[in-house]
Amino acid sequence: MNGNSGNQTDWKQHGFRCGLEIHHQIHTEKKLFCHCPAGKYSDHYDAEVLRHMRPTLSELGEYDGTALMEFKTKKEIIYRLNRETVCTYEMDDTPPFLINEEAIDIALTIAQAFNCKIVGELHIIRKQYLDGSIPGGFQRTAIVGVDGEFPLSNGKMIHVIQLGLEEDSCREVSDNGHRIVFMADRLSMPLIEVVTECQMETPEEAQEAAMRISRMLRATQMVRRGAGAGRQDVNVSIEGTTRVEIKGVPAISRIAELTDYEAHRQRGLVALSEELQKRGFTPGEKPGRVVELDLNGLRFNNPDLAAAVQVRDSVRVAVFPDAKGILSWPLYGRRFADDISGQVRVVACLDMLPNLLHTDGPSGGLDEADTAMIEKLTDAGAEDVAVVVWGPEEDTVTATNEIIDRYAQAIAGVPNETRQALNNNWNDFERVLPGPDRMYPDTDSPPHEIAPERVEAAKEKVPVAPWVREEMYREQKLPEDIVDLLPITAYAPLHDKLVSEKTVDPMRSGELLARMMTALQRREYPVEALSLDQLEDLLRAMGAGRVYREGLFDLLQHWVDHPQLSLDEMLEHLEWTRVDDTELTAVVKEAIDLAKGEGPRLPENVFAMAMGHAMDIVRGRVASSVVREKMTEMLGL
Amino acid sequence: MNETTFEIKATGSVVEGVTLPDLDPAEDYKGYRGYSRAVLEATGARVWCEVKATTDQGDFVGILLPRSETADDKHLVMKLTYNGYNVGIKSESIQHIEVLGYRKANYKIPEKEFPKDPVKPNVILLGTGGTIASRLDYRTGAVIPAFSPGELYGAVPELADIANMNTKKIFGEFSENIGPMHWKKVAEAVAAEIETGNVNGVVVGHGTDTMHYTAAALTFMVQNLPCPVVVVGSQRSSDRPSSDAAFNLLRAVKTAAEGDFGEVMVCMYGPTSDSYGLLHRGTRVRKMHSSYRSTFRTLSDTPIARVSQDGFVPIKEEDAFIHRDMSRKPVLNTAFEEKVTLLWYYPNMQADIVDAMVDAGYKGIVIAGTGLGHVNRPLFPALRRAVKAGVHIFMTVQTLWGYVQMYVYDTGRDIMEIGVTPLANMLPEVAYVKLGWVLGQTQEPAEVRRMMTTPVNGEITEREPFDGYLVFQGGLPELEDYFKYHQV
Repeated sequence: MNGNSGNQTDWKQHGFRCGLEIHHQIHTEKKLFCHCPAGKYSDHYDAEVLRHMRPTLSELGEYDGTALMEFKTKKEIIYRLNRETVCTYEMDDTPPFLINEEAIDIALTIAQAFNCKIVGELHIIRKQYLDGSIPGGFQRTAIVGVDGEFPLSNGKMIHVIQLGLEEDSCREVSDNGHRIVFMADRLSMPLIEVVTECQMETPEEAQEAAMRISRMLRATQMVRRGAGAGRQDVNVSIEGTTRVEIKGVPAISRIAELTDYEAHRQRGLVALSEELQKRGFTPGEKPGRVVELDLNGLRFNNPDLAAAVQVRDSVRVAVFPDAKGILSWPLYGRRFADDISGQVRVVACLDMLPNLLHTDGPSGGLDEADTAMIEKLTDAGAEDVAVVVWGPEEDTVTATNEIIDRYAQAIAGVPNETRQALNNNWNDFERVLPGPDRMYPDTDSPPHEIAPERVEAAKEKVPVAPWVREEMYREQKLPEDIVDLLPITAYAPLHDKLVSEKTVDPMRSGELLARMMTALQRREYPVEALSLDQLEDLLRAMGAGRVYREGLFDLLQHWVDHPQLSLDEMLEHLEWTRVDDTELTAVVKEAIDLAKGEGPRLPENVFAMAMGHAMDIVRGRVASSVVREKMTEMLGL
Repeated sequence: MNETTFEIKATGSVVEGVTLPDLDPAEDYKGYRGYSRAVLEATGARVWCEVKATTDQGDFVGILLPRSETADDKHLVMKLTYNGYNVGIKSESIQHIEVLGYRKANYKIPEKEFPKDPVKPNVILLGTGGTIASRLDYRTGAVIPAFSPGELYGAVPELADIANMNTKKIFGEFSENIGPMHWKKVAEAVAAEIETGNVNGVVVGHGTDTMHYTAAALTFMVQNLPCPVVVVGSQRSSDRPSSDAAFNLLRAVKTAAEGDFGEVMVCMYGPTSDSYGLLHRGTRVRKMHSSYRSTFRTLSDTPIARVSQDGFVPIKEEDAFIHRDMSRKPVLNTAFEEKVTLLWYYPNMQADIVDAMVDAGYKGIVIAGTGLGHVNRPLFPALRRAVKAGVHIFMTVQTLWGYVQMYVYDTGRDIMEIGVTPLANMLPEVAYVKLGWVLGQTQEPAEVRRMMTTPVNGEITEREPFDGYLVFQGGLPELEDYFKYHQV
């Protein structure tokens, strides 16, 4: 059986394989290779810099495929610089400073949280990115640990191939035609990257693995939170394909659906490849030819082509032999032509959609008259299919080359690509999948030895795995929301200690440490102002019957604003003195009188109203059950 | 050779079918010494072997890389096969190394024949080192230069749209190692290339640190130029995608090929953006930032012109620079006296500094004085002694911008009275180069003074334009924008 969302494909049978690359910003004061403050974002900028990228050779003397593709796009890259968050390092006008030691310590803890082995020496490597997201053209990155593992709930162990420490890239502002704009403030923020083996055999396993990694990271309390702090890339393959990377998956909760779609897309492409080979095409072959149309006197019905003729754009056509049904080949909701279109958009910078039209059926966007005219102009036969692009001359040349290349790749199967996750769980071409050839040693940074004592010290900070705590908390009969929240808070060790000492009831502790503290945090109260010792005092006071849960939230709201006060001082400040029986009797009597004076419509309403008045006065100091008892007694119920 | 012997527990093996070339310890253990070297010797593994290293920490599969000579002897460096990352593995943790294969890196910029077009101008690129084109050096872990027309074309194919290129490597030195001997060689090469009559312009590739010294030296040593001589380099090495090398080279070649100039210039980034380069006169230019792309600035004057792929935009007036005239014949004079020094004055400088130079046989001293050209009084006797000993002393300003004005204060008048000659607005480094060149030709005091104070090409100017103190010259943001932002 399987639990695929919306369909019943048995992915294990199709050889589904998924691996994860989870990126998360870590909490340091400064950036990774310079002394700019970390974690400050703003859309304000003080200056702009224009740059271009050019591929370079890897240390083994080869050009990287991605790098070459990105060079073909000939982009103008604009970096926006904010005085506060960017220095000459980010704009690539100063070599790196020595790597941030605080970041190394955090990475050592996280690596050991996944049972990774720590490398003897950190080597900083340049990973080329020519998309402009990093002004230097490469990301500085280093492996901290290798060969770790963690379990899934079904007991399967997931192998962590490596744990890396790297600098974050720029934030993209816009990408139109040949001009891409970035904000440089996020650049060089320290990130860790957890890479797993391609071991997950269903979309659900992939999602669970990602969730476990993410929760472990949060449990360390060393990662940043908030939008964009965590990003995940997902590698997917099925039987007969090699991996495709889906980049920039925004939420872990979407991994199952995204990988499910991608696996379906790959099945479609495998079937397409079989069809093409059945028609006699062989992998490595490049069918198709390119014709440039002479636009003089042409009249198209299609509005895009009509406009192209009017503004004297170049119109080029790639003609493929024996290709009926290929361009419109279904790929689980999309068509093969959509895959090609994505590549044309990125590489040729033709980003107004549609950016291509074809003669393979109604999905091609051409009516009969246009189809007939194009077939005539290009000498296309009955079984041939024409793919039309228009735009600036140079871009249409790039575009038709890409179309021919992509078509040829379809004969062999599924090309290795990086694809961008789309909002509807589909994905679209982003770039050719980069290989080891884009890695290059960072000649600006010396190797950095990691001392064994340092590794040990970092290990001390590894938290108990959230999944271990979850089981523990279920045994303590805590409700699921607390089971979910508490293990990733900083308070879990305190809870475990006091519960094992039987100082406090697990439910009371869980409510305070998970529910209330999280609620306060979400309302932006500065909860970190309260120390673990202070919370321990509070829990002990609860255990001893000095403070009751009904008043806790009020108490905390005040306390976080006055964290310099001890619990006793806080209670005194709030005039939360002990209530003896005499005082309680007086309070209850007064509450009953008040309630009666308000003229309740029904006699039973007096009880509820009076309870409210009494609790307003003694909340937190007397258990509500005691007040209730007294009230019942005094009302003679 | 290992001096000490180590007890190595690690063992080694070679997979069947893999044969290694004859052992060459210098290459095969490159950068490894001490314990790490002993591990390699004991296991039979070598640099460039693909290996599986079994360690206390698990297995690592990858290519064994050379190690930087300055790094420690406790780690082996491997490039992991599956992801291309480098990691350092503790040599002590290694139990076994299995050699899986051998793959020596063939680091080569793809070489393609540079296309020749008879209609296009011919440009010669003279190489002296620097990072216009470069590759990785495993010995030091740094980049080393590499270039040929084919490599250049492979790396920057757009060059062929501008000119037919030839290259000649004169020497390969990092900028900081370049001195008078090298200036002579470059000057001779420049003159020789121009005399062939086959070149429309000369480009000199040079490390940036001392590029302005070389530009000044060339200005003095090869005069009466018919065409541009453009000195160029890069601030970001060309092994980076964001390197400024390609743009600098394209602009320099364009200037050499088409520019209407007949003097020595430095062509480097204007702003830090990839938008245009500036052509600086060789005697007025200085490196002003240790790492910025737009590090070169013209001081106390404006640059000659802007250059981009689209062409030239003159900044100076038409009559304020030397134009191309292919009928001129270069005049070569590479004389140089090496016993010349540059003395950067600081408060409380002691007389023994000057005395030491005189006693060491220095024949010329350029002082970079404070303000308008001053040093403190306790130095006066030492200066007097130096002049009496026949040392030629000249004054420049350490403010870099502006003129020496020694009549304004008594101190200045007194220093002149001692026999120190003011050099107007000549830059200290340029004065140093020029004094070496002049003293190479004559030691006669009046003639030395005459030559020093008579400009060859702009090292002294009669006027400083109001915008000669343009600190930003295409900085970020541009000067106008800067003021706008700050509402000055």
